[in-house]
Amino acid sequence: ADVKGLPRPLEGDEEPAKVLEAYPLNCHPRYFRLTTHTIPASQSLVSRWHLPLGAVVHPLAESPDGEEVPVVNFGTAGVIRCRRCRTYINPYATFADAGRKWRCNLCTLLNDVPGEYFCALDASGRRYDTDQRPELSKGTVEFVAPTEYMVRPPMPPSYFFLIDVSVSAVRSGLLEVVARTIKSCLDDLLGFPRTQIGFLTFDSTLHFHNFKSSLSQPQMMVVADLDDVFLPLPDDLLVNLVDSREVVETFLDSLPNMFHDNVNLESALGPALKAAFMVMGQMGGKLLVFQSTLPSLGIGRLRLRGDDVRAYGTDKEHLLRVPEDPFYKQMAAEFTKNQIAVDIFSLSDKYCDIASLGSLAKYTGGQVYHYPSFQATTHGEKLNHELSRNLTRETAWESVMRIRCGKGVRFTTYHGHFMLRSTDLLALPAVDSDKAFAMQLSLEETLMTTQTVYFQVALLYTSSSGERRIRVHTAAAPVVTDLSEMYRQADTGAIVSLLARIAVENSLSDKLDSVRQQLQLKLVRSLKEYRNLYVVQHRIGGRLIYPESLRYLPLYILAICKSLALRGGYADVSLDERCAAGFSMMILPARRLLNFIYPSLYRLDEVLTVEPERIDGSLRRVPLTLQCLDTAGLYLLDDGFTFLVWLGRTLQPELANNILGVSLGNFPDLSKIQLRECDNSYSRNFMAVLRTLRDKDSSCFQLPRVVRQGEQPREGFLLLSNLVEDQMAGTSSYMDWILQIHRQTQS
Amino acid sequence: MAEFFQLEEVDGIRMPWNVIPGTREDAFSCVVPVSAIYTPLKPIDKMTVVPYSPLRCRMCRSILNPFSSVDYNSKIWQCTFCFQRNQFPQHYSSISENNLPPELFPQYTTMEYISAAETGPVAPPVFMFVVDTCMIEEEIDYLKSALAQTAELLPDNSLVGFITFGTYVQVHELGFGLLPKSYVFKGTKEVSKEQILDQMCFFSGKQKPATGVIAGTRDGLSSESISRFLVPASECEFVLNSVIEGLQKDPWHIPADQRASRCTGAALSVAASLLGVCVPGSGARIMAFIGGPSTEGPGSIVSKSLSEPIRSHKDLDKDSAPLYDKAVKFYDQIAKQLVHQGHVLDLFACAVDQVGVAEMKVAIEKTGGIVVLAESFGHSVFKDSLLRIFQSADNNLGLSFNGILEINCSKDVKIQGIIGPCTSLEKKSPLSADTVIGQGNTSAWKMCGLDKKTSLCFVYDISRKVGPDSVAQQTSNQLYFQYVTYYQHHEGQMRLRVTTISRQWSSGSASVQELVDGFDQETAAAVVARLVSFKMETEADFDPIRWLDRALIRLCTKFGDYQKETPSSFSLSPRLSIFPQFMFNLRRSQFVQVFNNSPDETAYFRMMLERENVGNTVAMIQPSLISYSFQSEPMPVLLDVTAIAPDKILLLDSYFTVVIFHGMTIAQWRNAGYQDQEGHEVFAKLLKDPHVEADTIIKERFPVPRLVVCDQHGSQARFLLAKLNPSVTYNSDNAAASGGDVIFTDDVSFDVFMDHLQRLSVQ
Ligand SMILES: [Zn+2]
Ligand SMILES: [Zn+2]
Repeated sequence: ADVKGLPRPLEGDEEPAKVLEAYPLNCHPRYFRLTTHTIPASQSLVSRWHLPLGAVVHPLAESPDGEEVPVVNFGTAGVIRCRRCRTYINPYATFADAGRKWRCNLCTLLNDVPGEYFCALDASGRRYDTDQRPELSKGTVEFVAPTEYMVRPPMPPSYFFLIDVSVSAVRSGLLEVVARTIKSCLDDLLGFPRTQIGFLTFDSTLHFHNFKSSLSQPQMMVVADLDDVFLPLPDDLLVNLVDSREVVETFLDSLPNMFHDNVNLESALGPALKAAFMVMGQMGGKLLVFQSTLPSLGIGRLRLRGDDVRAYGTDKEHLLRVPEDPFYKQMAAEFTKNQIAVDIFSLSDKYCDIASLGSLAKYTGGQVYHYPSFQATTHGEKLNHELSRNLTRETAWESVMRIRCGKGVRFTTYHGHFMLRSTDLLALPAVDSDKAFAMQLSLEETLMTTQTVYFQVALLYTSSSGERRIRVHTAAAPVVTDLSEMYRQADTGAIVSLLARIAVENSLSDKLDSVRQQLQLKLVRSLKEYRNLYVVQHRIGGRLIYPESLRYLPLYILAICKSLALRGGYADVSLDERCAAGFSMMILPARRLLNFIYPSLYRLDEVLTVEPERIDGSLRRVPLTLQCLDTAGLYLLDDGFTFLVWLGRTLQPELANNILGVSLGNFPDLSKIQLRECDNSYSRNFMAVLRTLRDKDSSCFQLPRVVRQGEQPREGFLLLSNLVEDQMAGTSSYMDWILQIHRQTQS
Repeated sequence: MAEFFQLEEVDGIRMPWNVIPGTREDAFSCVVPVSAIYTPLKPIDKMTVVPYSPLRCRMCRSILNPFSSVDYNSKIWQCTFCFQRNQFPQHYSSISENNLPPELFPQYTTMEYISAAETGPVAPPVFMFVVDTCMIEEEIDYLKSALAQTAELLPDNSLVGFITFGTYVQVHELGFGLLPKSYVFKGTKEVSKEQILDQMCFFSGKQKPATGVIAGTRDGLSSESISRFLVPASECEFVLNSVIEGLQKDPWHIPADQRASRCTGAALSVAASLLGVCVPGSGARIMAFIGGPSTEGPGSIVSKSLSEPIRSHKDLDKDSAPLYDKAVKFYDQIAKQLVHQGHVLDLFACAVDQVGVAEMKVAIEKTGGIVVLAESFGHSVFKDSLLRIFQSADNNLGLSFNGILEINCSKDVKIQGIIGPCTSLEKKSPLSADTVIGQGNTSAWKMCGLDKKTSLCFVYDISRKVGPDSVAQQTSNQLYFQYVTYYQHHEGQMRLRVTTISRQWSSGSASVQELVDGFDQETAAAVVARLVSFKMETEADFDPIRWLDRALIRLCTKFGDYQKETPSSFSLSPRLSIFPQFMFNLRRSQFVQVFNNSPDETAYFRMMLERENVGNTVAMIQPSLISYSFQSEPMPVLLDVTAIAPDKILLLDSYFTVVIFHGMTIAQWRNAGYQDQEGHEVFAKLLKDPHVEADTIIKERFPVPRLVVCDQHGSQARFLLAKLNPSVTYNSDNAAASGGDVIFTDDVSFDVFMDHLQRLSVQ
């Protein structure tokens, strides 16, 4: 078969924009995507679908054009909701009885329209004010929630930093970067002038810091009784940033010096978490944990269990990837209950059990950042950008999310970072535009009786300005009786998002190998079903056939299998990296997820000579295979987290030297190279490329790394392992994969 | 008595019996035990200090002294105590009758040795401040300014540590410099040395040694790790000042019906363990500034609920002070730890309420600490006393550390124990008697803290039996006592003071007159006061009045002149004549009549009683009264209510309080301002004189006494009246002299007391 002819997603994610043509009242698909924009009418149809049936929700997705979500305040009428199923009024609601009643599109109940909200209907039964009212004309709106939606006054945005100051943190330069970054963000932290801030540092002891506004400098209080942690002060550990600004700045200025001579090797992270909980418990907010040494003291201490080669391929393999100590999950439950979201910044040059630490983020709506072998000189800029982003991105506080759907269907499982508070309520102490969720659907009844199924995502949260808000996304999907229609409306991005999450979760209870096999099996079954459908109809044999909508699916599934989280075995990825990748995959929105598993690869040497303003337009992706790499070329691989610069063996030395700022002939250590803009057009264009790519997505900062062709083993794990179309140890090339799948669909 | 006073000037020692009852039975019948009150560091005029080590007897380790007999030819000296013959070492080879080493000079019965070889480098004194913060702002401000002043006076070389406490204990890391930093401990737990080592990161970045006691630079700790918490005063001025300046009221909320949460016990435990870790064996004092009762954790004396009152003497008597015994036990543990480490606990208790002095007493006393009790940190009793400790002027206290006192006695004298601020080292020797009083079962004591005035009461036991053997065996009628005090002088170096005294045995049964001639009634009163105070504390159901009365009657029966059954014939030799009056006043004193005071006050009085010399003890028992008038020069007058007159000013010195009392007329004139008018200079001087005298008294006393200036019939007059002999009371027959005063009391007057005494003595 023709390798070149194989389908490749070189344009990245394809948002199912056509859905909006059929359902213009739906919310934009960036907020809500079904794996197939149809609902099968019967269980038997479901059972023939084989791929997951579900949705990807990205409730706070940023609009590319900066379009604002309209805000609706119902005033004295109160938020208009269905009396029975609590659905919010939406464009699919219909009005009756001359406008005095409205019918709920989810449960069909006829509700009264409150007097204040009344409006007459036109001849077609449409309210006259429909176009003036966003909640009746737009799939996405935000309601101002009155006091009934609060159990307490809306909390102020609150940031508490838990910073490891053990010797490895000190030596890596972590403290300088963190202090400098936080200080530079103080003006941009959310919620001015109500913002709360506090810090707790720790090594073998816990260091509290008093930021009382009347102090001229902060006071450090060390608590070392790890078995019986207590707060040394009743107040002033978490303070109003405006009042205590000077003390906080003094603290940040002195933080690196305070621990400059620290030689403490230990980490009492567990007790530090308890302490942080005691400080933040009343208020809630974001807890940012900077961790550099494996927790070694007190509750939650972790073993250097590391990666055990003997466990691979056995029933015990998955245990390496789950928390060993229930402490972290229990702690996470407490945090969530108290509206605290935990972000883990793990910056260690040794094993630090991301599997255990990550569960803090997993159950609190947080995020795991992993910087293996962190050194301020190399990784400082990345940490600076990502921490700044974390601190300043718009955030929804003390929130809960629920997705309602019409009669006959039901969401069964949810995948992402949250705590499930009841069967369908996701507790999200904090949530932001960088977090997406996925969920699976099932039919409640054997036969669907309606024509359309409605979905409504409602996120109740406190805005940084201190307002209680409800963001509501409403969508409709048709009920179909035809499997081919399901294939036609399939959404590869949503399917891959859901499949990847399911696979990562399965890897926590199963061997990697089995997980990959299950993925393959799903693909085979699905394509076989499709084949059967068409072999019968069109009598074409001998070729692998797939619906146009799923043309990239085989490659993406191969890519999932080769992703950091699921690839290979013991030697292929370090355990911490594998787990960190898994945590990332659980929250990534579809577009970023796809780019993570099938990174963008660009040939740059030609781009470096174009006019600067033409750079963006000149960037062309190439397939992820070595065959496509010209040894005379300069390539850039972007997976959203890292930029890999590959220097072909016969690349013009002049070009390389200009970009690197050093002569390649001197055999510099490329692992230490820092890419800076040099005074030549190549370099300027090159840096412009990096900027262009970063500007497309500010949620992450790609750390540039340089490798030259043939430089082993770096080339192997930096580049070759990302060339997912190529055969690697134990994995198939794209071509082989297709042949294999084809074979299996025929049997 | 002047001769006893002169002896005291030479050797710092006074004994009630300066001729020693010759037998065990004699000694018993003398009622007042053979004993001595010795002030080991008493400044002695022109005392010799020699720069070498003393010579010791190779048998009993006693020290060569002026009473030793020396054979100059063979260069041999004979031990005063065990008669062992000792060869002089080589460097004494030039010794001769005309070339005596100072230790053999007859007048150098008390002298000191400094030996550089033996002592090593000078260890800087350590001051660990432990400061209560559960106080109203006003008190905190007073304390701040007192501490700030103290900080300036600290010797440059001294090491300073700082701990504050309230709900929690905060150890300030004065050596951190960059920012204020402290270690915080819960108030509910004791903190061991092990925990201090672990929790305060003494082994941070290093492997902790697996075995052995780790403490101090000599034993495994780096000086850098120690200097985080103990910093030379000269280097931490700024940090110390900012910590003191930053002192704030404990921030935790106190419900209206509760006392502040104050963890005094935990704070002292942390301080003790930290010193134990950092400077074991080296002179250090914990100076605790406490403004209220401990309510949290070990050593608490009362619950937080305000509905529960702080224990009184009645509660202690009825065993209804639930926390008392536990707290005393806790402080006894602290005392043991501190003594083991060689450290001192000083207490500055300044509160309207009690703070637990009664419970903490054991730790202060066993370590030889200082105690100051006042109503407020703003009060001069506190402020001036604190300053005095660090003033380097003539009145300085000469605070010394790490004393070890050993005694030697001639045969047939054993030691029962010491009543005073020290701890038995439990070094049992042939010298220790079977019966024990105070710190006994030993011939060596530890005095972690001692100063120029610290005075110990040694209670001896005479074991000599009557019999031909013992008399025949006795080559001489002399017996000897030697006191050897090894201590860290307040200037840092280690010194050894030796006092050797000689007394005579009384000779057989016809010795009553000898004994009377050698009787020092002031010292006897001081010894009896210590004994009665000690027994009241330690013996259940002890009846002090009965005990004192019986002792006095027995003494009078033995030594009085009288015809049997004829009270009117009774008389006492001048050597004994004022002893009954001492006893009369002792019976009425705060030491015996404890119910008028709080247990804290009583504990305070007892601690002072047990550390003062004879003169000051007498002032405590029987205050002095001086009368100032136009008619005569100031003159001492009887401690009697009849001393009061409208045209006189009285100056009462009861040791703890100095009262200037203006007669009614004097007060009226003064209020009219005559003293400021021309022609009334004499009156002005009359008003001023008692103040000048009071200032003199106050200046040389520590703690600084309370000065009360009052007028006849004023509310403060009670400070005087309480001390006066109630010869005229509201129910007595004889009426008050015109303008005199009447005391509202049912106490018997001295005359009545004497009548009874004479009657009972002659029976
Ligand atoms: Zn409804
Ligand atoms: Zn001897």
